[in-house]
Amino acid sequence: MARRRLLGAIALATAATLTVAACGSDDDEGGSTGASGKPEYTIGFQGPLSGSDSQLGVNGVNGVKTAIAEWNENPAATFTLKLVEQDDEGSPDKGPTAAAALIDNSDVLAVVGPMFSGATKASEPAFSDAGLLSVSPSATNPDLTKLGFTTFYRVIPNDAVQGEAVADYITKALKPTKVFSLDDASEYGTGLSKVLEGRLTSNGTTFVHDSINPTTDYTSEATKIISENPEVVYYSGYYSTFALLTKALKDKGYTGKIMSGDGSLDPQYIEQAGAAAAEGAVISCPCLLAQADPEAADFVASYQKVTGEEPGTYSAEAYDVTNAIIETIKGLGDDVTRESIAGKFGSIDIQGLTKQIKFTPEGEVTDAAVLIYEVKDGKLALVGTVSELTAG
Amino acid sequence: MDFVHQFWQLTVDGLMSGSLYAVIALGYTLVYGVLQLINFAHSEVFMLGAFGGLFAARGLMDGGDTPSGLASVGIVAVGLGVGAMVGALAAFTLERVAYRPLRRRGAPRLAFLISAIGASLFAVNLAGKEFGRNNVSMPEPFTNGEVFKIFGASVNTKTLVIFVVAAAMLLILDTLVARTRLGQSIRAVAQDSDTAVMMGVNVDRVIVLTFIIGGLLAGAGGFLYAMTFTASFTMGFIPGVKAFTAAVLGGIGNVRGAMLGGVLLGLIESYGGYIFQASYKNVIAFLVLVLILMIRPQGLLGERLGRAA
Repeated sequence: MARRRLLGAIALATAATLTVAACGSDDDEGGSTGASGKPEYTIGFQGPLSGSDSQLGVNGVNGVKTAIAEWNENPAATFTLKLVEQDDEGSPDKGPTAAAALIDNSDVLAVVGPMFSGATKASEPAFSDAGLLSVSPSATNPDLTKLGFTTFYRVIPNDAVQGEAVADYITKALKPTKVFSLDDASEYGTGLSKVLEGRLTSNGTTFVHDSINPTTDYTSEATKIISENPEVVYYSGYYSTFALLTKALKDKGYTGKIMSGDGSLDPQYIEQAGAAAAEGAVISCPCLLAQADPEAADFVASYQKVTGEEPGTYSAEAYDVTNAIIETIKGLGDDVTRESIAGKFGSIDIQGLTKQIKFTPEGEVTDAAVLIYEVKDGKLALVGTVSELTAG
Repeated sequence: MDFVHQFWQLTVDGLMSGSLYAVIALGYTLVYGVLQLINFAHSEVFMLGAFGGLFAARGLMDGGDTPSGLASVGIVAVGLGVGAMVGALAAFTLERVAYRPLRRRGAPRLAFLISAIGASLFAVNLAGKEFGRNNVSMPEPFTNGEVFKIFGASVNTKTLVIFVVAAAMLLILDTLVARTRLGQSIRAVAQDSDTAVMMGVNVDRVIVLTFIIGGLLAGAGGFLYAMTFTASFTMGFIPGVKAFTAAVLGGIGNVRGAMLGGVLLGLIESYGGYIFQASYKNVIAFLVLVLILMIRPQGLLGERLGRAA
């Protein structure tokens, strides 16, 4: 019910912004003068706002809204911002249509998104052709920056980075004599476990590999894991099966570290495994879960005020992208066009909420921070970045 | 390979999964016995029973600490009872809505199959709508810990509860089929329903009761499953397929065969998953099934294939 109301609100907001955008589209510079007398610029958002994965899109667009609301309320602001949303359902099929709608709207000066890797891959050729900047908060497929897109950036390290960072964390911070690496036989899981195991090998850490299709009964798998006597179990898969695996291991009295990756970073994990079994589990993610980080308390409060919800996965990243775009526009003076923004964005260097926002020439973020979370008192808490934790 | 060292632990694990398969498999085999049809909606009876038991147990616990002693026993008993009742109710409804109208009209065998699949899809989607699409886990009704060791294999509380309950249910059912009047009627209908009618057996009543018995077992099994693993709207499918396999392995229509098949399948999976990569678990289990059926097409304890109906 709440979700339906939310979608309704989003639809209404989209309709409203589109109408306003249409009314003000007679300005050549893509900016118009708002009621405050300041110029008004429009940025676009592309991500899944309907369909089964829409929660991630809602998390993203709410991060963008939070950044825009903060900026528009800032008395020192020299311009105001407006948002245009496009729903791509996270699918490669719908991506180009959503991208075309943003490109055809001449007011849109820069885009936050697309959010999913598949939709990003399908949409970027059009953004590159149009010279419209598109910055993804969340697309992690390693290949995306190797395809020659000229206006594409992302603020999240790619999938390969996580596996290597986690392997370093295990080797240097946990120093186990043996690791059990288990994946869920999915594309994501096998990809992650392969990178992880490659790095463990070069780090000289012994590991045992196994692969198990998602199931509910992990009893005999738990026996197999425990018989190998590993200090660390790393599961490359998603939260619902990770919860079952955790329960099975705890039922058999396993006392070592139970770990997983970004696919398991969801409060549902604790819900499904039970707080007692989940306690002490460690989850890695290249993303910042704002509630787990005390330093992000201001953002969480502001997000709640603007959207009436709790931040979710990728909210903080979308917030950072929006602020980076604002920062770029600020530095442009009166010359605010698609071309000038796309030309200047690559040289940005600001401290964001999640990390230092600075890019390589390919569009990858230079600060490839992978964060470690631990379940404490039934909640996900941030332990620190891998580089901090392996330094000492 | 220290398979030898883990042999007993794997046996305990396999027996646990196997006894759950056996409990569900009985529902398939009983219905097959009296109607000669595979009740493909049986997995949903199991799922609904699991949710029934889970919500009852959760209602009793309602947050708070893990109960102990008599409270734990009470919660498990209530969960089993409610699960069994919900399962029985679901099976009864299923028979009334999806099978009886077809039987009255003398519909062809295929119509029953389609009707069962339809009922199954209906139940799965209704449950998904009502109970959500996420896994629903049950709070622990007791503190799970090692109870005793057997040949170095650890047996914990959950495993023990499953063993005891499943064994009790299997024993009761076996006695019921072998010694009571109802069991005699079930066997009579299974052997030759036309003659049974002439002998004064109320076939409709026997069929309904057979569904209800299968539902009771599946519902209670569902509660045990939800207690050990998790419950979700799609939870019925895989155990359903496994239990059906177990029933075929043991010889469909044969009560003791279903029990044997279930336990055997659990053991094969447990050993196979250990010796080979765990992803091969199902491959090995079904390979064994195919091999056994090649040698004994009627299943391990099956008597004959064709029926002189």
